[in-house]
Amino acid sequence: MIKTDVAVIGGGPAGMCAAIEAANAGAKVIVFERNLSLGGQLVKQTHMFFGSQKQYASKRGFDISKILRDQISQNKNITVMTNATVIGMYEDGVLTIEHDNKYKKVLPRATVVATGASEKFLPFNNNDLPGIYGAGAVQTLMNVYGVKPGDQVVMVGAGNIGLIVSYQLMQAGVKVNAVIDAAPRIGGYLVHASKIRRMGVPILTSTTVKTAHGTECVEGVTLVKLDENWKEIPDSEFYLPCDNLCIAVGLSPLTELMWQIGIEMAYVPQLGGYVPKSNKNMQTSRPEVFVAGDASGVEEASSAMVEGRIAGLNAAKFLGFKTTDTDSKLADYFEQADSLRSGPVGEKIRAGLKLAELD
Amino acid sequence: MLEKTGIATVEQIESVTPSAERRGKGAIAVCECFQNIPCNPCYTSCKFNAMKPLIDINDRPEVNPDKCTGCGICISNCPGLAIFVIDETYSETEALVKLPYEFLPLPEDGTFVTGTDRAGKAVCRAKVVKVLNTPAQDKTPVVWLAVPKELSMTVRCFKIDDIYSDNTYLCRCEEVTLGEIRELIRKGYTSVDEIKRISRAGMGPCQGKTCRQLIMNEISKMTGEKIQDMPVSTFRPPVKPIKLGMLAQSEDNDDE
Amino acid sequence: MRIEKHPILTFEKGETVTFTYNGTVYSGFKGEPIASALHANGVRTLGHTHDKHRPRGLYCAIGNCSSCLATVNGKPNVRICVEPLTKGMVVTQQNGRGVLKND
Repeated sequence: MIKTDVAVIGGGPAGMCAAIEAANAGAKVIVFERNLSLGGQLVKQTHMFFGSQKQYASKRGFDISKILRDQISQNKNITVMTNATVIGMYEDGVLTIEHDNKYKKVLPRATVVATGASEKFLPFNNNDLPGIYGAGAVQTLMNVYGVKPGDQVVMVGAGNIGLIVSYQLMQAGVKVNAVIDAAPRIGGYLVHASKIRRMGVPILTSTTVKTAHGTECVEGVTLVKLDENWKEIPDSEFYLPCDNLCIAVGLSPLTELMWQIGIEMAYVPQLGGYVPKSNKNMQTSRPEVFVAGDASGVEEASSAMVEGRIAGLNAAKFLGFKTTDTDSKLADYFEQADSLRSGPVGEKIRAGLKLAELD
Repeated sequence: MLEKTGIATVEQIESVTPSAERRGKGAIAVCECFQNIPCNPCYTSCKFNAMKPLIDINDRPEVNPDKCTGCGICISNCPGLAIFVIDETYSETEALVKLPYEFLPLPEDGTFVTGTDRAGKAVCRAKVVKVLNTPAQDKTPVVWLAVPKELSMTVRCFKIDDIYSDNTYLCRCEEVTLGEIRELIRKGYTSVDEIKRISRAGMGPCQGKTCRQLIMNEISKMTGEKIQDMPVSTFRPPVKPIKLGMLAQSEDNDDE
Repeated sequence: MRIEKHPILTFEKGETVTFTYNGTVYSGFKGEPIASALHANGVRTLGHTHDKHRPRGLYCAIGNCSSCLATVNGKPNVRICVEPLTKGMVVTQQNGRGVLKND
């Protein structure tokens, strides 16, 4: 049995920040990362981040990942276990892991769940054809491994992910034939939309996928226009060729582990689905279990990092590791989180967080 | 409508267009950021305090026209790539538009590209005056385009494909492009001799045999003047390149 | 299908190794996922389903969806979107559920 003060499940932006904060407060931390290296989805982000300098605004995601990884490797209180998937969480606090093909048990005194999210899927005819990929898969192929996902893409979803990945596809030399979204308005930041629009890519709102075509691989797609009630407009179908149909219709929090130990959950569509209820300190209904990042509700990576810091600091504090600046740091992080969610684009998140509040 | 298409409306663009008076004074940043999002690098990156302080991080940027020098540092720092610098004092007929461009290939200084608008539609030919791509731009290169002055608030991107064939060589000997010839004609150099003297087109070893007719065609196209009405260039010997030594050793020096 | 030049990224590539897929020899970079090497070689259909024989390819590429199962060096049901490529690997397409062979 491996013992530690704090177990951090997931080495993405939230998990890395949680580990750094808990370790700086004096706790011994182990980070469990299922991939071969830390960074999560940050390593695939080639665009500059929004927010303020405290959340590394203007820096690109993969550069932020490097900064955090360096901080972790220099911190003596942090042990990183890669190729380590937490496969179970038990009532007595024990975590079971698959590490380098071996089954191991871990007993932490506190746990930060930062498992991230998985991609939502979309129902339409032939949606299982090869060449129909989640946006994350497209990012992984082209930005991590340098492989083009196709030669011409139709992007489904004009939220931030759909817009950003479309731009990244063009940077990789792939033609984007259109970005479509069933909603009547572009969901992502409008500056991202303008960036791809001025490169000549049409953005078609009130448009959805009807059928994908192809036998062994996708070859094209029939799209259809929607009216203001999201109903298909008769005879408005049209065809676009593509060898990659990219699905960017949102993410769902990865919460299986928290379900396993009976943590109180709430269904909050604004946050992507079922999320654990938590208080301001990112503490769940199990006082020794904290949550951060997309696992607590899908948001931007900037907020995930701030949530990670809050969760890590509080997990340490919960175990009695408290330094003279713990409270002032917390106050700063709370303010950063509020500020990131304060504007009109944060409205949905604010409403969602209210529904996920732990009484 | 921006929320439906990604293209800002005329009203939105008007709301961020600097006054004609300010435009007449030199370079200035234009922030085409029309949504309240939590983001502030435009403000924190400005060394001249020319971005009005963002009281709330969701505030939209506002350029102080008296303080902005048009230096363009904010262009590469804006995560939304929504800041451009325009300079209408570049020349009598042209404005400079400085824009972020994160794609390959990057254009080369002095070449011609197709200027495009906010919808990616071709609107003019544009000369690449400079491509800034140093560590300071941190992989967001800034491309300076010379465009017709009236399009300073229209051109926001470009296509490398040169639909106007501006990068075509007219004078092979001296490597002068059609775009450069057209630029001279626009500036008022409308005879073959004028163009030859200022650009060297026609001064190479072929003595204008290849380019002269093409230049005349282009002058005619742009000015409407018929070729038969144009002054022909001055023809002087030798009609082919010769060795100076041959002249010096001439057996026929009977001038005296 | 490899990205040769990128305005922002540089790709660290391992040594070039060869492997076989359904008997055909392909090359890829050591350490990259098998599915990425196959994709770079134009192989995007990675198998067929057990019942309706529908073609299957990647969906998530990060080990979540299990849409990319293949038999690697005799071991069935390997998620090749996250399994690192090594020299001389023998990869075979799975049509239906994988079969574990007794030697």
